[in-house]
Amino acid sequence: MIELKDIKKTYRRGAEEVHALREVNLDVSRNELLAIVGPSGAGKTTLLHMLGCLDTPTGGSVLIDGIDAARMREPDLVNVRRKKIGFIFQQFYLIPGLSVFRNVALPLIFSKTSPDPQHIRSLLRIVGLEHREEHLPSQLSGGEMQRVAIARALVNNPEVVLADEPTGNLDTDNSEKIFELLRSLAHKGLAVVMITHNNELAQRCDRVVHMKDGRII
Amino acid sequence: MGFLRLALTNLKRHRTRSLLTIVGIAASVAVLFSILSYNRGFERGLVREFQKTGIHFMVVPSGCAHEVASLVLHGAIIPKYLDLEVVARISGLDGIEIISPLLVAQLPNTQKNRVDLIYGMEMKHLRIVKPAWRVKGSVPEKDSEIIVGSEVAAHYNLKPGDMVSYPNVKTGFRVAGVLEKTDSQDDAFTYLPLSAAQQLLDKPGGATAVGVKVKDPELVGRITETLTEKVPGIQIVTMNQVMNSILNLAASAKALSLSIAFIAIFISAVGVMNSILMTVFERTNEIGMMRAVGASRADIFRMVVIETTMLTFSGGVLGIIISLAGSRLIESFVRKVMPYVPSGEILALEPGLAAGSIMFAFFIGIASSLYPAWKASKINPVEAIKG
Repeated sequence: MIELKDIKKTYRRGAEEVHALREVNLDVSRNELLAIVGPSGAGKTTLLHMLGCLDTPTGGSVLIDGIDAARMREPDLVNVRRKKIGFIFQQFYLIPGLSVFRNVALPLIFSKTSPDPQHIRSLLRIVGLEHREEHLPSQLSGGEMQRVAIARALVNNPEVVLADEPTGNLDTDNSEKIFELLRSLAHKGLAVVMITHNNELAQRCDRVVHMKDGRII
Repeated sequence: MGFLRLALTNLKRHRTRSLLTIVGIAASVAVLFSILSYNRGFERGLVREFQKTGIHFMVVPSGCAHEVASLVLHGAIIPKYLDLEVVARISGLDGIEIISPLLVAQLPNTQKNRVDLIYGMEMKHLRIVKPAWRVKGSVPEKDSEIIVGSEVAAHYNLKPGDMVSYPNVKTGFRVAGVLEKTDSQDDAFTYLPLSAAQQLLDKPGGATAVGVKVKDPELVGRITETLTEKVPGIQIVTMNQVMNSILNLAASAKALSLSIAFIAIFISAVGVMNSILMTVFERTNEIGMMRAVGASRADIFRMVVIETTMLTFSGGVLGIIISLAGSRLIESFVRKVMPYVPSGEILALEPGLAAGSIMFAFFIGIASSLYPAWKASKINPVEAIKG
């Protein structure tokens, strides 16, 4: 699905050269819930951004269905993000003035696709928010907001879902619900990659990748 | 849901800021539209008023053409007088159809501690000299009858049939008619038959100006040349010269006002740019999220441009509404400060001008959105979603 080959990411911070990723190799496959764990500054988020074509490597290849995204132009990368990737963030990033339904439909504006209400309602059903369709984000709990963000990540029918600490802002009950949701998506055929600091959740994933100082260990 | 809905939602999130920005643009557009609309109305009214008058030229004592223009149209006070001989000489020329002397002066009334503005004219020529007037009552037929301007009538509570007295005249004057409000200086005058005014002002045979109508308008040039040669100490101003003089004055005023309006618009545009730039910076995370879920740089650019043009377009529409709602107030203010304003409605809804002003606001929106839109489109999603 997505294959990282000898990925390096180096950038400058003042006079210092920072090696965010050092020769990282990783395969992400369908039907798998993959956890990335490691201390802060280990390169987990940079790795996730490489997988999501949000960032470009200094060296190595990002192969998506065999095509090297590292050599793609920006419009092609945008297309990959629209069609193949779904992002979930720790802070949810819902638009405050839009209803749950419209927040879920937001990516369709950018992919120039008319929203299919049936499809959006089916996504809301999957995340258990079919009764909250017209609510605003301010009327939802943290767990519900994250479930809206998951539905939004799924609206373009992606093949890969990338979640950056999706349970980081949630209590235990809600973390458990979100985790189960992500696991069910993986078991329905998606590739799900999740960064987490929660070792208990990480151990229940199909695979765990440990990172330290920009390397997979 | 599309970009429009998204832009509207974003604007509604900062209601007060959006509203203040709209009001700023509205004020500028209102000023611009009022100036353009007023100028067009002024020119149209001026041409209409000049086309109605039957006078071809005015003979006045040598002096300022602007005073003449004011005198011709709305009775300015010129402290110089033509004598009887001038009127006699004009009468002696070939091709003259009508000679209408006018005597305009201030009359201090010590008894009532006021100054009356007196306008003497041949009442039989009233329709030629003042074609736009509407008089309630009748036009004076005797030397003892007068017309009063609407302000005079309101101030002294006068109506047709009432009597008016002056200290140096034994018998009073009967108000034959009251001039309907013209919103010009005409409203402040009392109009007397010429001979009565001459007697009242102690200027027997005197006139401030003489209006002349010729039999053949094509001969105006030749007649005025002859007059200038034969009669010293006079100035002849044709109605076209008066009109051009007023139009030139109006054009200068328009240029000055437009400069101020454009400065106001520029300041509003900077305000709009600042406001949009602030929302862009505040929404950095959100823009990063949008980029992550599939928005291209062009999508973000377009979203910001739409937001800005929605603001300025709304401001433009509101500006036109404000301008039209306040048109009476603006018109009455301008009539008070301008020496001459044509009678009739000046500020009116001109669809072409209104549409042009709104489109102008729209383009101001596009122009002021370019920088914030560019900044937004350059936001690095990786940095933005790190928070």
